Formats: sequence, structure tokens, C-alpha cells
Amino acid sequence: MTTTGEESAQWKTVEGPGRSRAKLIRALVALGVILAALGFVLFKGATNSLEYFLTVQQANAARAKLGDTSFRMEGVVVPGSVDPTPAGVDFTIRYNHAEDRVTEIGNPPELFQPSIPVVIQGHFQGNVFVSSLIEVKHSSNYVAEHPSRIKNAGGTTS
Amino acid sequence: MSRNAKLKRGVGITALVMIALTFWLGLYVTPPAEVMGNLVRMLYIHPPMAWIAYLAYGITTAASLLYLWKRTRRREWDLIAAASAEAGVFFTGLTILTGSIWGRPAWGVWWTWDALLTSTAVLFLLYLGYLALRQVPMSETKRGVRSAIAALVAFIDVPIVHESVYWWKTLHQTPSVLNPSLNVEVHGSMAWTLLLGFVAFTMAYVWMVWTRYETSKRQAELADLEVERAIRERLSVEEVSL
Repeated sequence: MTTTGEESAQWKTVEGPGRSRAKLIRALVALGVILAALGFVLFKGATNSLEYFLTVQQANAARAKLGDTSFRMEGVVVPGSVDPTPAGVDFTIRYNHAEDRVTEIGNPPELFQPSIPVVIQGHFQGNVFVSSLIEVKHSSNYVAEHPSRIKNAGGTTS
Repeated sequence: MSRNAKLKRGVGITALVMIALTFWLGLYVTPPAEVMGNLVRMLYIHPPMAWIAYLAYGITTAASLLYLWKRTRRREWDLIAAASAEAGVFFTGLTILTGSIWGRPAWGVWWTWDALLTSTAVLFLLYLGYLALRQVPMSETKRGVRSAIAALVAFIDVPIVHESVYWWKTLHQTPSVLNPSLNVEVHGSMAWTLLLGFVAFTMAYVWMVWTRYETSKRQAELADLEVERAIRERLSVEEVSL
């Protein structure tokens, strides 16, 4: 049972161990990179997502413990309290009757406005919360803009 | 052209037309929203893409279960699972991308580590891992079983993503459509355009999975034929030599 070199050269080849090994290495490297990314995302999630923010009430209750550490705080921008400054904007944030005065350094996002819920990131400095980032929380309710819709208790549209 | 190919082409063209219609309605016909203004136009593509990701992973899980159960084990289930996972990863990527584009002007940030965004990133990586696992050289059955188990494990994250806005404090809003009371919180023509977006992207998903499944099936059949031909040729050469 012998074959010539010419005959074996005509044989169809199936994937050999060398090619298979290179494919294995490539797949394992890809899996390793994905696992590392997964580890990073899970770490960031564990350190940020589980307690994404404190409400104004919770932050005020824990003020002594918080000291000047940076954290996120949620509340609604009190109408009439927004005061643009050269550095950014000052406003008051409220949650369930608890309030804090906020000094924002930097530009607020496009949707920032009175009565909108926001999550601010920063720290307490005396009686003021110094924020470096405002994140606007929008609701899940989508209604068409209507120019003549009454927007305040006085019955006016602006 | 076979009836099957004609039907698939019909699905593809319908999906394209419906997506174009969604874009036209979303960009030119529907009104700006209160508070959100023109940023609302992302609504017509972002939630449908997230829905397709859920649907795709659901199909991958169902097909994987059918493959794992020995009485229903067929190559086709494994190929459907893989094709659907590929579409799922594609749409999860698009969900993250469109969410980021929407988030920058609406929230003020491209990305934040809140529970919904983080669990979505985890979902993306888990199914990317599933696809990478499928590239590891091994026998077809072993690959099918291992990747089916991986698909079942990865699916655990789907309900976590959906419920994260209720389980944890998040920056992301609660669902406007797929909420516990199924109360659609989108009004008027905006709701109809969103519905069209859901149907359009579902059609696109069906076309993608169908096409990918057929390609994979042909590839697998071709590989079988190649091996059979190689064995036949070798045997015939050996017979002549004897």
C-alpha cells in the first residue's frame, strides 16, 4: 500500500493541526480580552451602579459621614432658584421637602431647566454642594410639544 | 429563484421600506416633545434596537435549549442560535451607540456607570464571548453543547438589564412601552412611529438571521462534502495502489 508524491499532492486537504492551533490561539486571545473587559465593567458596576446616587434627604442625613467626599445626589431643580454665574450656574435642589443649594462649575446640559430632576456629582463645602457634573433625568412620558399648553398655576404658557 | 429566496427577499425589502418610513416619520412628520424637544427623535430607533437585542437573545436561548435536549438535537438549532446571537450583538452595539448619542445632549454625558448601562455592557460582552467561544476549534457537537450552555448562562443578564431600572437607582428612565403595566407612555403620532420602528427592526432582524442561518448551513454542508470527497479520493487512490 504505497502512494506516489504526485498522487498525494492531488488529495483534498482538510484543516491540519497547525492551522487549527493558530485558530485556537486567536480564539483564546479574543476570549481573554473579552473576559478582561467583562471584569472591568463588572468592577465599575459594583463600585458605581449599586448606589448610583443619594437623594437630597439621604445626603443631608449622612452629611457628617460624607464629609468632603465626592458622590452623586438626586433631586428636582427648584423653580426660581436658577442663577447663571460666570463659572456655571447656581440653583437649589429639592427632594421630599429637603433642599440644598448647589454651585455648578461648568456648563449644564441642554435639557437643564427648572422643575427637572437631576443627578449632580460633587461634594459638600460648608452649606453648599459644589458640583462638577449635572446629569439630567428625563421621564418615560413623551408628549408632543404644544405652544399653547398651560405651563404654570397662573394659567400662562411661558 | 426559489419560493424561499423570494420570500426572504420580500422580507428584506419590506424591512428596508419600513425602516426608511420610520426615519421619514421620525425626522419630518412627528412633532418635537415637551422638555425633550427634537431630541425625542432618537426614541424611534433606540428602544426598537434594544427590543431586537432581547428578542435575538431569547431566540438564541430557545434554539440552544432545543439543541441541548438530545431528542431535538439538530445542527439547525445550533446554527439558528449562533445567527440570532450575531444579530443580538449587532443590535446591542447599536443600542449602546444610539443611547450614547442620545445621552450626551439629554443627560449631559456620553456614558455613565448606572445599573442599566452597566448591565447592557455586560450583556454585550457576554454574547461577544459566546461568539468567540464558537471560534474555538472543536468537534461540531462539542461546540454546539458548550456554546448552548454559554448562551443559557448569558441569558440570565437579559431580565437583569430590563429590571435594573426598578431594582436600582438609575439615570436611565423606566421603559415607556415594555413596563409592568404595559401602559404606553408615548402619545399620538409619536406612538405610531415608535410602533412602526419596532415592526421595521423586527423584520430586519428576521431577514438578518434567515440570511446568516442559510449561509452557515451551506458552509457546514460544504465542509461535510469536502471531508467526504477527501476520504473518497484517498480511498480510491489506495484501492488503485493495492
